[in-house]
Parts: sequence; structure tokens; C-alpha cells
Amino acid sequence: MADIHADIDALRELADALARFRHAQREVVERGDHEIEATRASLEAKAGSWRSQLARRQADLAACQQPAARDAAGPAPDCSAEARAVREAEQRLDHIRRWQQRVDEEAGAFRSAAVRFRDLLDLDVPRTENHLRAVISGLEASRRIQVAGS
Amino acid sequence: MPSRPDEDGDHLLRVIDSIWRKTQQSWRDDMARHFERSHWSPLLAESRAYLGALRECLEMMSAAERDTEF
Repeated sequence: MADIHADIDALRELADALARFRHAQREVVERGDHEIEATRASLEAKAGSWRSQLARRQADLAACQQPAARDAAGPAPDCSAEARAVREAEQRLDHIRRWQQRVDEEAGAFRSAAVRFRDLLDLDVPRTENHLRAVISGLEASRRIQVAGS
Repeated sequence: MPSRPDEDGDHLLRVIDSIWRKTQQSWRDDMARHFERSHWSPLLAESRAYLGALRECLEMMSAAERDTEF
């Protein structure tokens, strides 16, 4: 017979702690997913806002450059501020789009780690808890036999 | 200020690992060695891998938010 050195109460505490760990880590996973989705939504909202700004600024530039805005006798109107505003909106929108792409790539790479961890929490940790509880049951049975035999 | 999920996950991992170390003091047989090899070490390794990936991912999310505040 194998040599047994185990404190049943300590094993019970470990099994209970594992169940708590499983539930609490599931919340961690949910919160992590939520933060990623919140960032994606926030970037999309910023991109949408800058798309609107770009459209408005392009309209302002077009209005400035329209022949009706020109004084036929005078010099061409100065639309450099409007052109600058359009360039700024384009650059900011591009910058946000680049971040959106990086975030999508990172989130995609992260997803496989998240799937593995979810499987660990949903399948492996309960299996480990069951294994521990089987060890505890075996120890209790073995101690009952020892007590009955003494 | 609410804590980050990866930090909470690290804390949970430290807590469960300290309970395991305490259990080890009173469980020192072949079953314990088998349990550590087949169950505990993979659990720790997979948890650390996930939490590390989550940390990196959330750091990038924060950077994206900061860098697009105009």
C-alpha cells in the first residue's frame, strides 16, 4: 500500500479554494473581454467623430474655393486655414485607423490565449477539483478502515 | 480607481498558489507528486500565460486610448 501523508482538511480547503479561483478567474476573463470591446467601441466612436469633422471641413474648404466666394476683381480667397483643417482631420482619422488595425490584430492574437484559459477554467479546473475530492474520499475511507481495524 | 482584471487575476493566482504551498506541507506522498505534476503545474503555467497575454493586450488598449485623445 502507498505511503499516505495528507491532511484531509488541508485538501478540502484546497478543493474549495480551487472552486473560488475558477469563479473569480471567469470574472477576470469577462472583464478582460469587456475592456477590449470597450476600447474597440471607443476607437470606432472617435473614428466616426473625425469622419464627420473631415466631411464638415471638406465642405468648408469647397465653399471657400467656390467661384461664388471669389471676388472677380480681387485676388483668390485665402483657403489655407480650411485646407489645413482638412489635412489635420485626415491625419487624425488615419492615426485612429492605424490604432484600430493594431488593436484588432492584438485582440485576435489574444483570443487564442483566452480560449485556452476558458477551457482550463471550464474543463481542467473542475477535473482537478474532482480529482482532489476523490483523493479526499479515498483518504477518508482508508482512515475509517484503519480506525475499524485498530 | 478600479483595479485592472490582469492584476486581479495575478492576485487570485498568488492566493491559490499560497494555499497549495500550505497544503504541500501536509501532503507529501506519491499522490501529491502526481497531482503537482499532472494538475498543478499545468494550471499555473496556463494561468500565467493567459494573464501575461491579458496584461500586454490591456496595455495596448490603454496606449490606443491615450494616443487617440486629441
